[in-house]
Amino acid sequence: MFAQQVAAAQPLLIGLLLLWTSYGKLTRPEEAQKTALPKLVGEKRATPAYRTVGAIEAVLALALLSPPVWTAEVLAAIALGVGFTGYLVYAKIAVPEASCGCAGTAAKPVGARSIARALLLTATAAAALTASQGWWSAGPATLILIAEAAAFVVLSPELDRYWLLPLRRLRIRLSHPLAGTASNAVPLAATHRLLLLSPAHRAVTGFLRSDIRDYWDEADWRFVSYTARYDGRPATAVFAVPHDAATPEAVRVAVVDESSGQTLYRPALLSLAG
Amino acid sequence: MTSMDRRALLTRAALGATGLIAASAMGSLAPEAAFAASAQVPDPGAPDPNFAEGLITGRNQDLLQVQGSDGRLHKIQLTGVTSVWKLRPTTIDQARIGDGLYARGVKLPDGVLAAESVWINIVNLDVMINSIGRTGLNLDHHGQKVVGHVQEGITAAVYNGTPAISDLSMLKVGRHVQVIGAWRPGTNEIDLATIYAAN
Repeated sequence: MFAQQVAAAQPLLIGLLLLWTSYGKLTRPEEAQKTALPKLVGEKRATPAYRTVGAIEAVLALALLSPPVWTAEVLAAIALGVGFTGYLVYAKIAVPEASCGCAGTAAKPVGARSIARALLLTATAAAALTASQGWWSAGPATLILIAEAAAFVVLSPELDRYWLLPLRRLRIRLSHPLAGTASNAVPLAATHRLLLLSPAHRAVTGFLRSDIRDYWDEADWRFVSYTARYDGRPATAVFAVPHDAATPEAVRVAVVDESSGQTLYRPALLSLAG
Repeated sequence: MTSMDRRALLTRAALGATGLIAASAMGSLAPEAAFAASAQVPDPGAPDPNFAEGLITGRNQDLLQVQGSDGRLHKIQLTGVTSVWKLRPTTIDQARIGDGLYARGVKLPDGVLAAESVWINIVNLDVMINSIGRTGLNLDHHGQKVVGHVQEGITAAVYNGTPAISDLSMLKVGRHVQVIGAWRPGTNEIDLATIYAAN
């Protein structure tokens, strides 16, 4: 008796699910271009095909939700579920970057969850095969649908932002996994930014030929070297950036001859003026 | 001359703690031919002769064979004065077969690009943070999953354009960030250099 009621309740869930997925397809048929449909049926026919699937879903949903109870409706739902599963497996193999196009506008490519959801739809429809009465007379068995609906939600990437992201946000608010990364070490990116803003860099920028070649720390300074050319000679430009520098004016620079090691250029006045 | 001696010399020069150094104190690191040539100006519409990008398909000592994404083949000469970025400034031996690169330098008469700067496996991605773990971030790049590994001592974050800090604890799930990192060839994983976030 109870099994009968469970079977009878299933069309309610399938109907609501199909209404949701058809809504996305009918209101945003342009999403078809992001799916594997252009490859399967051709670019021109993708949008009409997408809209047709949406219409079939809507009609079937309304048939399942309203009396009378026909086994043919359930068989059609099974066929649809099998069709979706096959299509998604094809899409994952043929056009791996294609979006599912199942419901809504999620740009996520077809994954195991989408395929599992199509399988679950098929199984739910199969469970309804033995129903002899409508979902409106299923009684307390309708409550089982809550668990089934939860399973559909978990398998829907389109709905992640409503429950999965908030859950992850909460977890990170309670204990951030990267809380231990704070340190007094100055990242090279911070040194680089200060250096680029400095009068010292402006003074020698015309001599620089490379990106950062080497960097090292000594005492309270970080040193950063670049390949340079000065007066036609190969040289190295070396910047000194104080670790606790508050302003870019504290940055110093020297251009050193590559072969003799002589300092060729040193805008010393800049650091004094700063 | 070791790199330590060299650094010591440059340290003193930058701080102005040294005057002239004897000519023999520092060995030359630059092949003369490579940088004797001056940079050429590209013709309008033609590819920049002083730039190359692609995958390293061969390496003979410091000469790289690179297959460009447009099908062109490049020969790129690394020298002792080439700057090499691979997650951080590093040395020329880090350029390996299978790596992708961008190179800028001077085109020599024989067609070889004498590289002044090389960036290996560098990527610049707009992504959404899907989740955060102890070793890194799970990222979503227009629907594609990308794993971003945090490298201690290297990975830094820039929040709202303020100076970069090593503290990554202000990153939030669900937010869009821009990341600069080094791609691990053949995978969907990157090592994170800098994360730009707006809070």
